[in-house]
Amino acid sequence: MAEIKDMQRLDDARRRFLTLPAVLFILAFAALPLLVVLAYSFMKPATYGGVEWQFSTEAYVGFLFQKDIFDDSLTFSSEYLLIFARTFLFGIATTVICLLIGFPTAYHMATRPPQTRNWWVLLITIPFWSNLLVRTIAVMFIIRDEGLINTILLSLGLVDQPVTMIFTDFAILLGLFYSFLPFMILPIYASLEKLDFRLVEASYDLYASRFQVLTRIIIPLTWPGIATGCLLVFIPSFGAYVTPLLLGGGRHLMIGDLIALQFGSSRNWPLGSAFSMILMAFVMLALFFQIRKNAGGVSHG
Amino acid sequence: MADVAAIRSPDIKKQSGFAFIAGSCIAVLYLPMLVVIAYSFNSANNLGAKWHGFTSNWYNVVLANTEFYDSTILSLIVAAAATLISTVLATAAALGTTRGRPWRGQGSAYLAITTPLVVPEIVTGISLLSLFAFLSTVTGIDLGIWKLILAHSAFCIPFAYLPIRARLEGMDTTLDNAAADLYATPWKTFRYVTMPLLVPGISSGAALAFIVSFDDFTITQLIAGPGETTLPLYIWGRIRRTLTPELNAMCTLLLLISLAFIVLSFILSHRRRA
Amino acid sequence: MLNVKKEFGHFQAVDHVTLNIEPNEFFTLLGPSGCGKTTLLRMMAGFETPTSGEILLDKRSIAGLLPNGRPINTVFQNYALFPHMTVAENIGFGLKMLGRRRNEIVPVVEEMLRLVRLEGAGERPVTKLSGGQQQRVALARALAPRPKVLLLDEPLSALDLKLRQSMQIELKRLQAETGITFVFVTHDQEEALTMSDRIAVMSKGRVLQVGSARDIYEHPADRFVAGFIGETNFLEGTIVEAKGRVARVRLKSGADVAAAMPEGLPTSGDVTIVVRPEHLQIAADKDAALCATVETVVYFGTDTHVHLRLKDGSPVIVRQQNRRDGTAPPDVGTEVGLSIPDGVAQVLKD
Repeated sequence: MAEIKDMQRLDDARRRFLTLPAVLFILAFAALPLLVVLAYSFMKPATYGGVEWQFSTEAYVGFLFQKDIFDDSLTFSSEYLLIFARTFLFGIATTVICLLIGFPTAYHMATRPPQTRNWWVLLITIPFWSNLLVRTIAVMFIIRDEGLINTILLSLGLVDQPVTMIFTDFAILLGLFYSFLPFMILPIYASLEKLDFRLVEASYDLYASRFQVLTRIIIPLTWPGIATGCLLVFIPSFGAYVTPLLLGGGRHLMIGDLIALQFGSSRNWPLGSAFSMILMAFVMLALFFQIRKNAGGVSHG
Repeated sequence: MADVAAIRSPDIKKQSGFAFIAGSCIAVLYLPMLVVIAYSFNSANNLGAKWHGFTSNWYNVVLANTEFYDSTILSLIVAAAATLISTVLATAAALGTTRGRPWRGQGSAYLAITTPLVVPEIVTGISLLSLFAFLSTVTGIDLGIWKLILAHSAFCIPFAYLPIRARLEGMDTTLDNAAADLYATPWKTFRYVTMPLLVPGISSGAALAFIVSFDDFTITQLIAGPGETTLPLYIWGRIRRTLTPELNAMCTLLLLISLAFIVLSFILSHRRRA
Repeated sequence: MLNVKKEFGHFQAVDHVTLNIEPNEFFTLLGPSGCGKTTLLRMMAGFETPTSGEILLDKRSIAGLLPNGRPINTVFQNYALFPHMTVAENIGFGLKMLGRRRNEIVPVVEEMLRLVRLEGAGERPVTKLSGGQQQRVALARALAPRPKVLLLDEPLSALDLKLRQSMQIELKRLQAETGITFVFVTHDQEEALTMSDRIAVMSKGRVLQVGSARDIYEHPADRFVAGFIGETNFLEGTIVEAKGRVARVRLKSGADVAAAMPEGLPTSGDVTIVVRPEHLQIAADKDAALCATVETVVYFGTDTHVHLRLKDGSPVIVRQQNRRDGTAPPDVGTEVGLSIPDGVAQVLKD
């Protein structure tokens, strides 16, 4: 008995030792920095960027209130709150649109013969990993006033003024959808591919309609993939930075840009840190939501 | 046989309209990129959508551009270093978290390793900026491009880790038993059996780490110091200047480099497993 | 040569098993899945550590040795061939690990390929082989280092029936040619009967009986062994008279049967007797003491199984060989008499 336990302990120790460097590295360069930001969010801004080492809740207060320059009185300000709400809505809208387009696509992929399927996966994988900046620039080229769409519309005589698309909310939403659509398709495809289609046969056999098969059988069984896809789209679109900057033209801000602004020209690191922490809280909430839903999906299946 | 069946009974997997959506999806995903590539051959010297004729001259312009060249070299150096560091750490971690009874704390370790996947890039960027700023105020050391290498290594670890782990989990542990049964010591088992079978997983993970590092814009932009301009940062800077098809040519080249690694990783991870 | 002695309490997977396996023997561990036979095998190979007890090889304990220190090789259930190596590299792997030089390994690999009839296949990748061929490579790989004992863990279970039957003969031939002790694990009683010199029947972590195929089939030690090996009829009755090794048993239905009496059983009281279906005869005489109704007749090609029910309700199966001149089997629903020749029935330990 003792011998087995000793061997097990030795093996555990060896595997712990192998895992440790990666964990420490991530803790040092991913988790520790978050703690620094958490600390910064409770300090005062230094004049030329950075922070003053002084405890303060000013940053969090500043999220909801504006301090009068003359008498230091606080008045409620919805400016930042509105940007958060806008961002949240953009995140949700992007997720929903990606799901509506992504699910049918993933389903179509999963029902192809194996050889064709691999090509489909490659076709989705390429944009999945392609440079986000370049892809956003590509959208910009298409929807600019001098872009492809407007040039075509003008030359066909359908409009006599370029249709303004760039630097609008529409542009941002389009950009987010375009950027993160593959993030929705691949996880859903992964769970659809594992789906046992004999279950679909069985439910047709038991008089289910096509729509019922989809909503009662396929969607519940692939729920973990759907939830993962939603999370993979929601988190980056909620924290989007490049897309609103390029396609929103800096006039239609999202949280990501607001944070970058505080660390850049506004030189208010504590406020930017506080925004980041609030953003992280949303992300944690989304993660929690997904884990719970996933658990629900498993019990369904 | 299959064809006959298809004619006689409707395809039970079919859901109407899905094929159309899937087709549109591919069109939407590729059209903008193809437009960027096409216009890199436009002979006009502005970025209007009017086609002025074919030229490959913009590529000569790009290749003669020393700033483009320098930023590409920097990107390659950072990506190569980050790939090496993250792949080595990820391989060790994958070996430590698969095969065999989970050890106490393994779940937390997994969570830690995958953290970078769920933290928005902007937050990672400003948090690393804060960390490096903090380090330089306390110690006075500026890490230079090591800032980029360390940061990239950290967020590349999960991308390298996941394919390696998947490969290990799909690997039959009785192969290790068989090697031990045939007089292989644990080291020889690793050297002659585990490692050769793991190579495709490691290469696939390394290719992904390389792409993720090479393509990164948001985090790099926030932490890069003056003179540390990677290729995506250089392209970003060029958007702010006069736009010519040279930008398209640069974007095309960047896409091609990524594409090479994506296809490499795809082939390695989809190669039929024995 | 091999002297395995073990006392285990390994989650009761293997419960105080003592076995003595002779050199150059084809020894089979037979039992249903979960009976502990594979655990026993894995302990011999060294993948599993016995909780207590010891394993002796040539009178020396090997319990403390790692698998790579034991002169014992295994043929795994799913073959566990190294997919990234050729056939020859797989076969030569053990010798390479033992530090043999290339010029020593090559002739052995050639010999092994000949032995398993795969001449010329050495350079092929193992993933391109059929199941039967993979099986042969696995065998060659395990035999190449000339182990003292070869362990085979249900190696034929993945093959189809035809291939399995030819591999059974092949294995028997290989064992005879190499003179290596084979320890074979299976749940298939037919496989065990056709190949083994001796069989150990296991159930629930215990060895119930060790003996030759004939021993086990004809003189099962207890009810489990009798039921597990082949088809059997169990009949309840009471001992009327016991004389030496023969007892007269009165069955519930009233007939008297002479049955062999193993040593060490009580000589009176209620007992179960066992009769193999091929030993029962359907008698023309309907008034025989054992009277039964025909329920089902199943034609099997070489023989016909007649399912009957006795007056007291117990089921009986009779197996009749089909001969060209043979009598036709009785019709379903008719009443027939049954006779049990002397010496074919045996009293069972419960």
